[in-house]
Amino acid sequence: MCCFRPLLRVVAVLLAAMGSLRVEAIIPARQNAAFYGSTERIRGFDPVQTGDTTSAAAVSKVYEGLYEYKYLARPYAVRPLLAEALPEISADALTYTIRIRRGVRFADDPCFPGGKGRELTAEDFLYSWKRLADTRNRSTGYWIFEGRIVGLDEFHKRSIKEKVRYDEPVEGLQVLDRYTLQIKLTQPYPQLIWVLTMTYTFAVPREAVEYYGEEFLNHPVGTGPFVVADWRWRNYRIVYARNPNYHGDTYPTEGEPGDPLEDAGQPIPFLNRITEYVVGDDSTEWLMFLSGQLAASGISRNNFDAVITAQKDLTPELKVRGIRLYKSPRMYTTYLGFNMDDPVVGKNQKLRQALACAVDIEKWIAFYNHRMVPATGPIPPGVAGYDPAQPSPYKFDLDRARRLLVEAGYPGGKDPQTGSRLTLTMEIGNASDPETRQAADLLASFFDRIGVELKPSYNNWPEFLKKLERRQAQMFQLGWLIDYPDAENFLQLFYSKNASPGPNHCNYANPEFDRLYEQIRVMQDSPERTAIYQRMAGLVVEDCPWIFLTHPLSFGLFQPWLKNFKPSDFPYPNMKFYKVERHP
Amino acid sequence: MHSPPMPLASASLWTTAWQQLRRNRLAMVCLGIIVFYALVAVYAEGVYWFYRLRQQTPPYKVVEFESRFAQPSWRHPLGTDSLGRDVFRQVVQGTRIAFEVGILTSLIAIPIAVLLGALAGYFGKRVDDLIVWLYTVFDSIPGLLFILAIAIVVGKGLLGVCLGIGLTTWVGLCRLIRGEYIKHRDRQYVLAARVIGVSDWAIMFRHILPNVLHLVIISFSLRFPGAILTEVVLSYLGVGVQGEPSWGIMISDAKLRLWQGHWWELAGATTAMFFIVLAFNLFGDALRDALDPKLRTAEAKTA
Repeated sequence: MCCFRPLLRVVAVLLAAMGSLRVEAIIPARQNAAFYGSTERIRGFDPVQTGDTTSAAAVSKVYEGLYEYKYLARPYAVRPLLAEALPEISADALTYTIRIRRGVRFADDPCFPGGKGRELTAEDFLYSWKRLADTRNRSTGYWIFEGRIVGLDEFHKRSIKEKVRYDEPVEGLQVLDRYTLQIKLTQPYPQLIWVLTMTYTFAVPREAVEYYGEEFLNHPVGTGPFVVADWRWRNYRIVYARNPNYHGDTYPTEGEPGDPLEDAGQPIPFLNRITEYVVGDDSTEWLMFLSGQLAASGISRNNFDAVITAQKDLTPELKVRGIRLYKSPRMYTTYLGFNMDDPVVGKNQKLRQALACAVDIEKWIAFYNHRMVPATGPIPPGVAGYDPAQPSPYKFDLDRARRLLVEAGYPGGKDPQTGSRLTLTMEIGNASDPETRQAADLLASFFDRIGVELKPSYNNWPEFLKKLERRQAQMFQLGWLIDYPDAENFLQLFYSKNASPGPNHCNYANPEFDRLYEQIRVMQDSPERTAIYQRMAGLVVEDCPWIFLTHPLSFGLFQPWLKNFKPSDFPYPNMKFYKVERHP
Repeated sequence: MHSPPMPLASASLWTTAWQQLRRNRLAMVCLGIIVFYALVAVYAEGVYWFYRLRQQTPPYKVVEFESRFAQPSWRHPLGTDSLGRDVFRQVVQGTRIAFEVGILTSLIAIPIAVLLGALAGYFGKRVDDLIVWLYTVFDSIPGLLFILAIAIVVGKGLLGVCLGIGLTTWVGLCRLIRGEYIKHRDRQYVLAARVIGVSDWAIMFRHILPNVLHLVIISFSLRFPGAILTEVVLSYLGVGVQGEPSWGIMISDAKLRLWQGHWWELAGATTAMFFIVLAFNLFGDALRDALDPKLRTAEAKTA
């Protein structure tokens, strides 16, 4: 996705990092399947304005989209939600025909004639997506369609200058009949299916937008499992109740080994009420969890050691209370990037390989409390193309690193021409965090063992990003959090046309890789495409524009009475699957 | 009535001051501590340059990951830090950084203060107005923020910190020097020098300066610990020294694990800082008592 701006990504990463703690934090009531949860302050309930994880979680309770992630399936897969089936795609992959589920009604609301919720039609999606494209709605999510749908960009551009009417036809968005939607693309966009699970694309009824006007943000009217029951004290709490008009759905019947399946095939949601408090303080939230008010909680870095033993298990005090720990890999890769434009590291493949072999990844992981697994390539676990069995050809091996260094022309880490030590500079983004600084010192000690000196250079975020965009960094430390569970999202980071100021900050350019990327960019999910993903990952691993470090794990806790809980990278709509058992 | 110090008396001022200082046991202990720290700093400087010139990793940076968070022992007198580096060696290197900062900032601040103070006090009028305006402006900017701003503009690291501290801490001394020059510029020895045609420049720096030099020395001994503390604060905040051990960085690192009982890193850095700052402050006070004739007579009267 060359159109993504890196800053946007960084913000998204930060938001996701903060939000993941919140989203998972739900407090159960003692009985009657009512929940008490915690949340951040919610800005509002307009799907086109859900750039942060907190809003996404709120909007996903009330509104729905065409597709959603299967709750238990890993690697992530999509299933129809408001659509009847997966899209019918034309042979040229440019036309998507999607049939909408019949008989789905919006929640009852005064905006409808007689106050009764109307049936959802294909028109509602057309309307909602034009709202997304209309600049007056100030959406942060238009990038998902930008340059993709025939005629929508023109509509988007026109809305900057004039007031656009949503009745105006857009060539790429057509309604074939009441329940059939057709999308025409400018070029194949296999990621469209993932994009259609995102909150930006959720269906809103035109009546509500027009009835409430500016206040629409505070009066959600959706098809989802819950409705907002009480939101008077908005900085204090928000209450959701079961939506009586909900079209009904059932709990999944298959999952991975160990997944909660006691309720397989049962109608969802299990909860009648959800009450979420705006807690806003980590330690308060932690104490609420310990006192049994919260069903689940993240673990902040500060009390990680108090909660988790050296063996990465729960401390006995928490164990006897039945509190459960979950660890799950996140679709996140951390790495050290080389600037391929740099005369020293960029043009010397052996040197990059030598440095990769010098990184003692076990120690690195031990330094970070074992909260991550080693990365062997760009593609993180949980995504098709990730291959845990495939060992990295450049894993930690000091002897090999020294040999490669000789081949690279720096025997013993010394430049034979000048006789001085090879010194590399690594840009680091968050200057004032002591943990980052110690980690940089640890990295320096790894390279020191083969005689190469590493100098960390500390910047604040904007400075750091500027250096990357201007290609001024020699090496840099960064991570990438996935946007949708498709390895393409990682592989685009090595596509030469995405080079800085695009997201390819290492400015990697490999014609073979580019050729494959252009091929997979328009390919549908298939074993062939996965095989190409693996080939592309192999190319990158061999060229070492990145030293692959780790895939961080997410750690969280939940109470014994919270059932059907499974951590997810896309947890926003998952509360409808949760169940609370009576407090013992 | 106090008689104004004669130019000839300046030699005896230093001698009597030294004699008085020697009688002050506390001051001598403090001087001993300062000399000890200075020797440690020189040693650390030697270690630093030895390994730098040989392009080797100095022992205080050697990571022994297996023995991280080791308790104090014979091998590691102050234990090890989160990467298994020896805390004692880092404390020693921290002394080097502290002295570098103390000396470099003084080298920046004192010449500015003396030059501007002398110009303002000696010439008066417009020059005085301008310089007084300048230092008033400098003085009105919150100190730490100003230092942070300079350190960020110049670039993080020792140079930025030294420039930051140096460029912001000259005002106090400048005021004192200006006041002294105003007093001295109409004294007889100055008038005499002017009559025989000595240039303004020579009068300012060869005739008057020796008579106000004690202020510079007192100021040096009192600003030294201040500069050390400021460096520690800046390094703690992450804008100070980069890639070298500093007491501030050590304290910042140590706070992460303090609640788990890893006290040695914090204790090492703060203890080292405590004694040098205390010694400098006490010695600076004693020095002022000894060097400032007015204070001395006041003391004699009360005694």
